Amino acid sequence: MDSLITAAARALAAGDPLGALNRVALRDDAPALALRGIAMAQLGDLVRAKALLRSAARAFGPREAVARARCVVAEAEIALVSRDLTWPAKALDAARATLEAHGDRVNAAHARYLEVRRLLLIGRLDQAEHLLADLDPTPFPPALRTAHELVVAGIAMRRLRTETARAALTRAEDAARRAGIPGLTAEVESAARILATPAARLMARGMERPLLLEEVEALQTTSVLVVDACRHVVRNAGTVVSLARRPVLFALARALAEAWPGDVPRGTLVARAFRAKHADESHRARLRVEVGRLRATLRTLAGVSATKRGFVLVPRHAGEIVVLARPVEEPHAAVLAFLADGESWSSSALALALGASQRTVQRALDALAAADKVQSFGRGRARRWMTPPVPGFTTTLLLPAPLPGD
Amino acid sequence: MKRSAAEILREYGPFPGVDRVHGVTYDGQNVWFAAGDTLNALDPESGKTLRTIDVAAHAGTAFDGQHLFQIAEDRIQKIDPETGRVLTTIPAPGGGGDSGLAWAEGTLWVGVYRDRKIHQVDPETGAILRTIETSRFVTGVTWVDGELWHGTWEGDESDLRHIDPRTGEVLERLEMPLGVGVSGLESDGHDQFFCGDGSRSKVRAVRRPKRASTGSSR
Repeated sequence: MDSLITAAARALAAGDPLGALNRVALRDDAPALALRGIAMAQLGDLVRAKALLRSAARAFGPREAVARARCVVAEAEIALVSRDLTWPAKALDAARATLEAHGDRVNAAHARYLEVRRLLLIGRLDQAEHLLADLDPTPFPPALRTAHELVVAGIAMRRLRTETARAALTRAEDAARRAGIPGLTAEVESAARILATPAARLMARGMERPLLLEEVEALQTTSVLVVDACRHVVRNAGTVVSLARRPVLFALARALAEAWPGDVPRGTLVARAFRAKHADESHRARLRVEVGRLRATLRTLAGVSATKRGFVLVPRHAGEIVVLARPVEEPHAAVLAFLADGESWSSSALALALGASQRTVQRALDALAAADKVQSFGRGRARRWMTPPVPGFTTTLLLPAPLPGD
Repeated sequence: MKRSAAEILREYGPFPGVDRVHGVTYDGQNVWFAAGDTLNALDPESGKTLRTIDVAAHAGTAFDGQHLFQIAEDRIQKIDPETGRVLTTIPAPGGGGDSGLAWAEGTLWVGVYRDRKIHQVDPETGAILRTIETSRFVTGVTWVDGELWHGTWEGDESDLRHIDPRTGEVLERLEMPLGVGVSGLESDGHDQFFCGDGSRSKVRAVRRPKRASTGSSR
C-alpha cells in the first residue's frame, strides 16, 4: 500500500474524514477514489460518495477482486442509508460471495446485514428472518454485533414480540458500547425508545387510551376481536383477515367496530366508506353490496346484521370488539408511518414498501408537504422525503475498508 | 525465471498497538518497522520490540549505516536513530504513491505502488536519477549482494521478485502464501529477507535462495 493512502486510511479510521480527503483529494487511482468515497459518505454527501465508490470499483484491477467487492458493499450501504431500496441486490450478493471466497468473513457478514436490513425496511420479514438465521454473530466485532441485534429487535418489534426485542436491544446496547461508536449507541437508544412510546391507540366502547407495543402484543392473546387500523386487518384469536387492499371494506369494518355494541346509521357508513356527504339511493344500493362483501369476508369472525337505521357488528366468538389505531391519526397515516423512522425516502422506495403505486404515494406526499408534515430535498430521481425536523442521516455507516489485505 | 514458494522461517508479532506494518529495514542488529505513527526496533533473535520512535511512518523504511529514512505522506524523512529527530526531508518521487524504500550505492531506491516503478533518487535533493519499470504493483525494495529485489502486492497475491536493475526483467520469484501481503522488504545482507505484512501486525523472515558463490556484500 502506498504512503498517502496509508496516511489517509489512518485519518479516516481515526474519525477524521477531512484529514483523509486532504491527503487524497487530487488522486484518481482506485484506492484514493474509494477512500474519498467513504470520507464523503461520512461527511454526509451520499450522492458524491456513491459516484466515487462506483468509479473506484471500476478502477480496481482484475487481481483486486476483494477491494472491488468492498466498494460494492460500501455503495450498497450508502444506498440503504439514503433509502434507495431499488439498489440491485444481485451485485451485493455477488460481492458478498467474493468476500467469503477470499476469507474476508467480517465484510461478507456486513454485506449480509445490509441485505437483511433492506428486506426489513421493505417489510419482507420472512426473508429477513430466514437470512438472519444463517448468521452466527458470536465471532463478529462489536459494531457488526450491534447491527445483528438491531435487526433481531427490528423484526421482533414488527412481529410484536416485545420480550425478544427487549433482550436483543439489551445485547445491542452492550455491543454498541464495546464498539465505542456514538452513532451506534444513539441508534440503539432510539430503537429502544420505540418500546417506551405508545405504539397505538385502543378504542373500545367509545373510550380511547394509548397502548405500548407490549400491550398491543398482549391484546393478540386475548379473545377480543380487533379491527386493526395500523395494519388494516381484522383479527381474533389467531384468525386474521386482511383488508389492506380493500379500503372500503376496512372503512366499514372500522366504523362498525367503533360503534360496537351499538349500530351505525346508513348515512354515517356511506359517509365513512364512500366519503359522500349525502346518501342518495345509488349510495344505499352500493352500501348493500359492500356490506354483503364484508359479511362474506368476515364470515368466520363476525356477522354484520341489519338494524332499523343501519348495521351492527356481531362477534362470533369474542365477547368484545375493539379498534386499534395509530397513536395520532391523520390522512396518509401509512406514508407517515414509514417516514417516522427519521430516514429520508425516495417516493419509489415508499411505493415499494407500501405496495402502492408511485402516483398514489406521490399524491400523498404532495398533500402532506402542503400541510408541512413532510419535507423533501433533492430533485428528480434523487428527491428524498423525510419528516421534519431533519434528524440528519444516520451516522451508523460502518463502510468496509477499501484497502486490499485485512 | 525461477519460481518457488517463499519459505517463511519465522513470524514476529502481533505487536501491541500496531495494526499493519508499512515498511521494514535492518541496521545490522535490529529490524526497524514502520507502523503508521511509530518506527519500532525489533530484536530478530528474541522477537522483542526494543525501542519506539514517534514519527509518521506510512510506507517504506531504509537505513544507510547511520540514519533511518522513512516515507511519510509524500516525503522522505531522514531520521537520527539515536534521538528520533527528523533531520531533513526530501519530496518522495511518487508524490505520495510511494511504497518501498531501500538504500544502496549511495542512493535511495523508491518503489511506487500502483505506478509499478522503482525510482533511484538522490538522497540530498530527491531528484530522480533513473527509473525501472516492473510488471506488478511494487511495495518493498531491497538490495543484497548486487541483486535488486522488490515485493509485490496486488489484491490477494504477493511475492518477492529478483529483477534485473537495467531492464526490469524478472529473474526469480518467491511466492508468498495467498492472502499474505508484503508491504515492506529488507535483506539482512545474508540469507534472509524481512517482510512487513501490510494487513496484519506481523513481520516475517523469509529464506533467501542459496547462491553457488556468494558475491561481495552490498
